[in-house]
Amino acid sequence: MSDIYQELQKNQVVLLLVPSAEYNQTIVKNMKKLAGKNVCYITLNKTFDSLKELFNKNKIDTKDIVFIDAISSTIKKTPGQTEGAYFISSPGALTEIAISVDKFLRHNFDYIIFDSLTNLLIYEKKEPVAKFVSSIVNKIKASKTKAIFYALSLKEQSDLIEQTSMFVDKVINIEK
Amino acid sequence: MKKTILIVDDEEDIRETVRTIMEKEGYKVLVAVSGDDCLKQLKTEKPDLILMDIMMPGTPVREVVKKIRGVKIAYLSVVRTSEAEKEELLGQKNVVDFIQKPFDVRDLAKRVKKLVGS
Repeated sequence: MSDIYQELQKNQVVLLLVPSAEYNQTIVKNMKKLAGKNVCYITLNKTFDSLKELFNKNKIDTKDIVFIDAISSTIKKTPGQTEGAYFISSPGALTEIAISVDKFLRHNFDYIIFDSLTNLLIYEKKEPVAKFVSSIVNKIKASKTKAIFYALSLKEQSDLIEQTSMFVDKVINIEK
Repeated sequence: MKKTILIVDDEEDIRETVRTIMEKEGYKVLVAVSGDDCLKQLKTEKPDLILMDIMMPGTPVREVVKKIRGVKIAYLSVVRTSEAEKEELLGQKNVVDFIQKPFDVRDLAKRVKKLVGS
């Protein structure tokens, strides 16, 4: 498997295609590689609490990570923000997500992690999602922040993966 | 009389897979494609259990669940939650189980049987 830290030395924006069976393991492994860096972690499929639980269990310090959590509000009542986390109404709230990313890019984070593109397609059609991804990647490229976009390697989503591949610097398929 | 299960999921593959499993187990099966569709169907149907995906477009599931009265609900969740959140979700009115996706077919059948009988 590629060393994500090394890949991000050479590429600013990376799309990482992960098989579902290796998903959590990959996330943990990559976070360990980015230990000590300032990370903005956008989550669309795991709640902030569950990510903290997962990272703590794997001895990953979360003090330098800010989470943008777009999923908790769909299943429970959340505050606008807590220490270390900002809550967005839904993974389909693309404008809200874009505004938050914009805000965090101004804080010069070392890395932005987007977990994951796959979940966007549950809420939105592929055209607005592709437009959203292109806009986010352009914003990231205008900054010094590096980014990882995760996606499940699913055949049904090959269109979005193909389109996203055009915007990012490198596509890494973990299956290969 | 056959017990009725209402499957609520926006993904057709999941709906059809769960439908096949439930029908094989001898249940009558209804399907809904969203939370809003589920509420619409509950105006005329009274299932014994709702198997509800937690991540669907449209009205957030937590709002849909608040409007459901007198029917047991089991979440089918692709969303990862913490243990504490799982407990919190199970503390909601009518919510009786939390089944993580991907699920084991035999385990799903066993849990449904435990919740509503056969």
